[in-house]
Amino acid sequence: MVNHGFESKRTRTMNRHLSMRSGNPALKASAFRKHLSAVTEGAMTLEGTVNKTGIALLLTILSAGYAWGNPAMHGLVFPAAIIGLGLAVYTVFRPQKSALTVPIYAVVEGIVLGVISMMFEAMYPGIVVQAIFLTFGTLGALLLAYKSGLIKATENFKLGVAAATGGIMIMYMINMVMGFFGSGIGVITSNSPMGIAFSGFVVVIAALNLVMDFDFIEEAVEQGAPKYMEWYSAFGLLVTLIWLYLEILRLLAKLQSRR
Amino acid sequence: MDNPAVILSIPLILIVVLSLIKMANKKRPDGKPWFRIEKDENDE
Repeated sequence: MVNHGFESKRTRTMNRHLSMRSGNPALKASAFRKHLSAVTEGAMTLEGTVNKTGIALLLTILSAGYAWGNPAMHGLVFPAAIIGLGLAVYTVFRPQKSALTVPIYAVVEGIVLGVISMMFEAMYPGIVVQAIFLTFGTLGALLLAYKSGLIKATENFKLGVAAATGGIMIMYMINMVMGFFGSGIGVITSNSPMGIAFSGFVVVIAALNLVMDFDFIEEAVEQGAPKYMEWYSAFGLLVTLIWLYLEILRLLAKLQSRR
Repeated sequence: MDNPAVILSIPLILIVVLSLIKMANKKRPDGKPWFRIEKDENDE
């Protein structure tokens, strides 16, 4: 009975506060809410989430470094991208398996990032170091802004970021479908002022998704989400960081191509 | 300033500075600010 009361209160609080609108498909309110009742082997902690995010990032960086230095890996970029997508979808539907799927996802995405980064570096020397610096700089700056209360994840903020993220994803999907017919949305790849403004907007939205992720993780810890959600949260942050890195890389490439 | 990365890092520096100012002005849980200038009662 006591437990039932606890669960009800917790679920109520989650329902109220976790009208968590995240643009990140991995970190949806329903994802945490669904697994609240499954708390058996301890609850998720902030420290555990930070550690697991660190491990996932390290695996991605090591794997990217290996793919960068091995031309044999370059042929694996498309299979790796497809496997990565499959693992991401599986992780979203089976967060309980996150401890297994997330490290594999990190390694596979590392291969993709390593090869893509090498291609950009060949065209614009020095661009990868700049993109890495800006990605982690953004992560640090927004973490500080979130902790200081400069940026608050209010309901309107979440709604706005989620809507913008959804809009961008739909645009990318349309672009991908058009690509099959030899066409595309020019603004995504163009280095015109409009194309640069679009990329800048996408970078800002990707960065604001980090704030949503911080808020989501903090709330999930507060509400006592199960332990395996530490890996799942690390996965969510990793997805946002990879997206942010690729968008920064694209924006820098557009800017450098005009010089 | 020719480097696009330098231009892109300006908003980040601005966010960090504003966050630090906000943190410095934030009141502690006991309601007292981090910095306070108090009047010296024993001043002659």
